[in-house]
This record gives sequence, C-alpha cells and structure tokens, in this order.
Amino acid sequence: MSSSNLAKPLKTWSHLAGNKRRPTEYEIVSTNLLWNTPNSKLKWSQGKDTPIIKWRYTNRDLSPVKHDDWNAFRDPDQLVYRTYNLMQDGQETYIDGLLNENQNNQNDLAIPTAWLEVLARAYTPARYLIHATQMSLGYLVALAPCSTIANALMFECTDQLRWLSRIAYRTAELAKSHQDLEFGKIERKRWEEDPMWEGFLELAERLLVAWDWNEQFFALHLVLKPAIDEALMHQFGQASRLSGDMLTGMLLDAQFIDSERSRRFAGAMVNFLCSADGYENHKIISEWLKKWVPLGDRAIDAFCTILDDDGTAASAAKTKVKEFRKSLGLL
Amino acid sequence: MAMLDRSAWYELARTTNWTPQFVDAGELFPSVQSDPFGIPMSEWETYDEPFKVSYREYVQLQREKDSGAYSVKAALARSRYHETADPGYINILKWHYGSNALGEYAACFPAARMARFSKAPSMRNMSVFFYLDELRHTQIELFHAHELVKLDRQFDWAVKAHHTMNMAALPGRHAADDIMMTRDVITSSIMVNLAFETGITNVQMVAMSADAANMGDFCFSNLITSIQSDEARHAQIGTPLVGILIRNGRRAEAQRAIDIGLWRMWKSYSLFSGIPMDYLIPLEKRDRSFKEYIEEFVVEQFERQIVDLGLERPWYWADFLKDIESHHHNQHMALWSWRKGLYWNPDAGVAPAERAWLEEKYPGWNATYGRYWDVITANAQAGRFADTDAKGMPCLCNMCQHSITARGGTLWDARVHQTEYEGRRFNFCGPVCQWIFNLEPDRYAETETLVDRHYNGEIDPADPDALLRYMGIGVISEGGRDAGAFSWARAYNPLAEAAE
Repeated sequence: MSSSNLAKPLKTWSHLAGNKRRPTEYEIVSTNLLWNTPNSKLKWSQGKDTPIIKWRYTNRDLSPVKHDDWNAFRDPDQLVYRTYNLMQDGQETYIDGLLNENQNNQNDLAIPTAWLEVLARAYTPARYLIHATQMSLGYLVALAPCSTIANALMFECTDQLRWLSRIAYRTAELAKSHQDLEFGKIERKRWEEDPMWEGFLELAERLLVAWDWNEQFFALHLVLKPAIDEALMHQFGQASRLSGDMLTGMLLDAQFIDSERSRRFAGAMVNFLCSADGYENHKIISEWLKKWVPLGDRAIDAFCTILDDDGTAASAAKTKVKEFRKSLGLL
Repeated sequence: MAMLDRSAWYELARTTNWTPQFVDAGELFPSVQSDPFGIPMSEWETYDEPFKVSYREYVQLQREKDSGAYSVKAALARSRYHETADPGYINILKWHYGSNALGEYAACFPAARMARFSKAPSMRNMSVFFYLDELRHTQIELFHAHELVKLDRQFDWAVKAHHTMNMAALPGRHAADDIMMTRDVITSSIMVNLAFETGITNVQMVAMSADAANMGDFCFSNLITSIQSDEARHAQIGTPLVGILIRNGRRAEAQRAIDIGLWRMWKSYSLFSGIPMDYLIPLEKRDRSFKEYIEEFVVEQFERQIVDLGLERPWYWADFLKDIESHHHNQHMALWSWRKGLYWNPDAGVAPAERAWLEEKYPGWNATYGRYWDVITANAQAGRFADTDAKGMPCLCNMCQHSITARGGTLWDARVHQTEYEGRRFNFCGPVCQWIFNLEPDRYAETETLVDRHYNGEIDPADPDALLRYMGIGVISEGGRDAGAFSWARAYNPLAEAAE
C-alpha cells in the first residue's frame, strides 16, 4: 500500500474494510482479536517446550479438524458482552419473579413427598453435572482457535454458572422447607454413587480429559449437552409439571433458552468446519461421535430410569438428540 | 419479596468438587496446569474469595455500568472533542488502545484456564467473572477506539498491534505470555491478579483517569475508571492463594511469583503509564508525576498488602526504587528517537517549562537525561531533523525487550549484565531481568529480540526499511513523527519564532 493511502483515515478497522456493508457492533468488537491462532505465524514469546505452550500446540494446533481461516467464523447470535448482560439481566428478572412467587405462596410445602425424593435424587445433584459442563467450556475458551469462537464459548460457560447458581439456590430453599431429606448434604454422594447418575458422570469425566480441542468441543456440544437438554430439561421438566411441580419445569424451560443458543452456535460450527474445502472434518467428527454417542445414550438411559420403568422417556430423549445431530448432517 | 440471601445458597454453588470415578484425579487436574506444588485437595477447598458476587448480581450490575459508559460515549461522539484535542494527548490514546485493548483480551485466557483447572471450586467460579470483565474491557475499548479510526489510521493498531512484530508490541506480549499464557493457573493467578492487577494496573487506570479528566476527555476518563472498578473486584482472586501456599510450605514459590509478576509488568507499565504522565500530557493538565503515583500505589499500598499476606517486599526493592527514577526517562529518549517505528506520534515534551517541571519532580534530570535532549534540541533548532533520529540498532534486553539504557550525564552508572547459556550470550538491562532469566533459562533462551531477528536473516534485507515493514510500519499505517512538529524546540527561542 502506498504511503499516500496510509495517510487516509479508515471508515472501519482495516480487516473489515472489504465488507460491502457497514460493520455491526459485534464485528467491530469481536473479530480478529486472538493473535495466536492455529494457523498464525506469530510464535509465543517463551520456549516451545514450555509445558503449557506444548499443551496448546498439541491439543489445538495439531488437532485433526482444521480450517484455513478460523477468524471467518461468526456467532449466529452476534452476542457481545454488553448485549449478553442486557439479555440475561432480563432473563434473571423473570427467574427472580418465579422464585419469589413460589416462596410467597409457600409452594414448596405442597410438593408431594414422592416428588421431593425425586428432586433430591435427580435435580439438586445436577449442580455437579452443570459444573462439569462449565469446566469443559472453560477449557474450550482457553484453547479456542479464534476470538469469535472464544467469545461465544465464554457466554456459554457463563450460562452454566448461572444454572449452577440457581440449582444451588433451589437446593438451599428445599433444605429449609424439608429438613428431613438431606437437601444440600447428599448431592455429592448421589453424583458419585447413584446408578442413575453413573452415565452422566462417566461421560462428563471422560469428556473433561479428552484434550483435543475439537474432540472435546463436539463431544460436549453434540453429545453431553444435548443429552442434558433432552433428559433433564425436557423429560424431567415434563415429569415435574405432571407431578404438580410447575416451578422446576419452568426453571428448566428457562435453562433450555440458553441451550438453544448453544445449539445454534454448535450448528454454525459444524457448518463452518464441514464446509471447509480440503479437509475431512465431517469424517473426523463422525468418527469421534461413534465413540461418544454410546456414552451419551447410556447417560440418558441411566438418568431416565427415575422417570419410568419401561424406557419411554429415555427413548424419546435419545430420539430427540439424534434428530438434533441429524439436522446438522451428523450421526 | 421473600428471596433467600446470597449467603444462604452461595456455599452450595462453590461446593462442586467430586471424587472422579472413571478417570484419575491427577488426570482431571493435571499438575502442570492445576497444581505443580502437590497441595492436597482439601486445602484448595478452603479457598475463600474476599469479594463475593452472584451471577444474578453480576449481570445486573454490569448492565447498569455499561449503560453509563456507553451513554457517555454517545454524548461525546457529538462533541467533536477528538478533532480539536491536543495532538500529544490524542497520541496517548493511540498507544493506550494499541497496548491495552487486546492486552485485556489476553487476560481472558488465563482466566478461562483457571475456570477449568483450578482445584479450588470457588476460584473456578470467580474466574468466570474474571474473563467476562476482561472481555468487557476489550470490547468497550475497541468500541471507543473504532470511532477514532475515522480520524486517524494509526488507531487501527488498537486491534492490530498485538498481531504484529512492532517494537512497541513485542515487550508487552513477551511479559503477558510469560505471566498469563504459559504457567500453571495458581502461579498465573498470583502473577496476574495479585502482582499485576493489585500492584500495577491502578496506576494506569486511576492516575490516567485523573489526567484524562483534566484534559476534558470525560469519555476516556469514565471508561478507564469503570474498567478499574471491575479490576478491583477480580484482582482479589489471587489473594487467598498466597495463604494456601504459605500454609503448605510453599512461601518461597508464592514470593517468587509476586517478584516475577510485579517486575515483568512494572517494566511494561513504566513506559505505558510513565511516559504519558511525565511527557505527553500537556504540562498544565498533569495531575501528579508518575513517580508520585508509583510511590503511593506501589511503594506504599502494594508493599503493605503483600506484607499483610505474609510475604515480603521483593528482594530487588532498591533496584525498583531506582527504576522509578530512571527507566521511563531513558525509554522515552529511546522511543522518541526511534519514533519512525511507533504507531503513534510521540511528543518529546521537553520545552523549557516542561524541563523545569521534570527537574522539580526528578532532581538531577537536567544534568543527566537533559544532556541527551540538549543535543536533540540543538539539532532541531538548527533544522538538522535527520540528526534527531536514532541511527543503528540498540542493544535490547533479553527479558523486558527494552533498549538497554542507563542514566547518563553526571550520574553515569552503566553496567553490563550478561548470562552465557548454551553457547549464547544474553544481555539484560539490569540485575532483576537477569535474575528472572537465570531462574528458568530454558523458558526464555529461544526467544529472539528484534535485533536478533535483524541480524539472523529473519528480517530480509537487513535494512531500516525492511525492519519498519517487519514491524507493520508502512503496512498498517505510517510510523511515528514528533507530535507537535518540533514546536517544543522552537519554544527555546521565542524571539526567533516570532521573527519567523
């Protein structure tokens, strides 16, 4: 570029100047922020054998799933920090309203004992499961290949802290109203030992140590999280309504709003990577799914045993999860 | 309203450790990321953050903060403030955004690693707010800087500098990679949250905010004050770690993390904050000198904090006190003289009145740094502008990447600090940078300075134009020039100027 051109001011960042339309706030504050991407020539400033540098190189840069231009990815929701808080503050106001009304009407005292026992087994221990997804998303942020992916993952990870907090809130509330059921004391034991949690526990633990960035991304977004959506948020949510526990059902519905955003993001990632010329990303992701889908199905089966004896709930949840993956052109 | 208080459920939200059943505990929390010290899990579970906030409180509070910060911006967009502001000041903004916007973004990544790998469940939760804060700072700074790219292409560096090999970007990236990107999460947190954010950032954010308000730039002043309100919260993430390390026989490691973290970021901020405060802000608008701020924020406040935590002030305190008086003065001479390689236009800031101020704040300034500027001034007054440019390559420190300098004139105290390692000689600006290198030579030995790259063929051909291009000058924007077109030099001879 000639120096006379360089003296002229720009209308937007030079990397967005080729766009035909005016850049959005999202593009201005989200694109091309990460300087060290899998394809970048910029080296880290410390030795390549420094363990954390090696870790990033091995698990991100050498991942078999590849793209020539990670920075081209766009979050379908175009969320930025400002709009995330704006949106979630509103959502949380709604949750506060639900919880307030529940407390004012003393609804917890009216929950049948049989359903309380179900909540103690299947709902309050979920804070461990949700926290495991939070940890996984923390890892995915830490090794993300570009800023537009990192940022979407940051919001998604934060969503998990949101629901971990709300489940903790409900646990404390139930502990107050029903002191005989060990709410707030028994969740860890249930998570570690109850057979209904065994499938999710195994899936979460194995996923948390699947260090390849892409493998963990897709195992989380196409297997673990959809399994939580369908088994916990939908099947369990529906059962809670049928048991007269409207609050849990409505909380899970609100949680699914966050999951839907995560699904749009995951879908955009599948599309972005599987349409990349010259790479076998679809094949590699499909191979990974062969390993992870059975773990996801087992998690759903085990969890749903609390809902019925004949496997109806599990079957419905597995069908839905499969439909989701199918809608993305995958197993 | 009958909602539970946060305290009724908060403990449950941070009770999330479990005993893994299908993988080893060591696999779930690899020591290289989580805990190279081998401290028992039960100890990490005692982690108690001094500042507590819930998700619900966070999204509400931050929405309200953003609403204020973005509305100031909208009001000022109509004021045309930047079109008429002092050129020296505008160039501080270029430097600030170029260094800071993506520097904030870098901090999202150690935070995310903490959210995954810390063995302290509460630290994992707090780290979520940490990366969110840093994302906020990145995005709000870019949003503001983007408005200015329409005035001057050098503002494009706000989103480019970190991607380049520019002489102003390399030192900061070297230090940030060191403390943020390449260490276990406990050491990183002590270095970043405690040493850097508690010790150093408030100098930039509080002191620069006062100077910006004096300049009438309420937009920038509010922006960085708002940023600091987040920093003050998440900076506390590192504090409880020191107690856990000390209780478990790792006092020396905690101390070392503080010593390295503080020094590495001090070096960057002594330029980034020190030069604007003492040279670039117009004299009549200066709040206090950089030294006065450092004495209050670091020498008094931070020292007291680390002593309260059971540690000692860094062993190099005497070197630090000396550096407060010298490093940024030396580096200002170097950066101004190599200004063609910068992405902003630095003001020399050494007209007679400014020199009188510098002499008052830093006694002996005229007899030492002033001598360098005497020569520059004479050349500028004689119209020999080419002779005000640096010639050749400086010798760079293999740690901080700054030019190796010493206070000249009557207090000449230059000394060579060198380490021989695996057949190569490494040069340092002083004993502290050398000490850090000698602790872990394998971590640092591979990295080449800009000068190394110039001589080893990476910059090809090895000539000044190729070097500038390598640094992004003439590619992203034009390089730097004196901000006021040498008006400071003309101020020495008002009669001649009047005749002109």
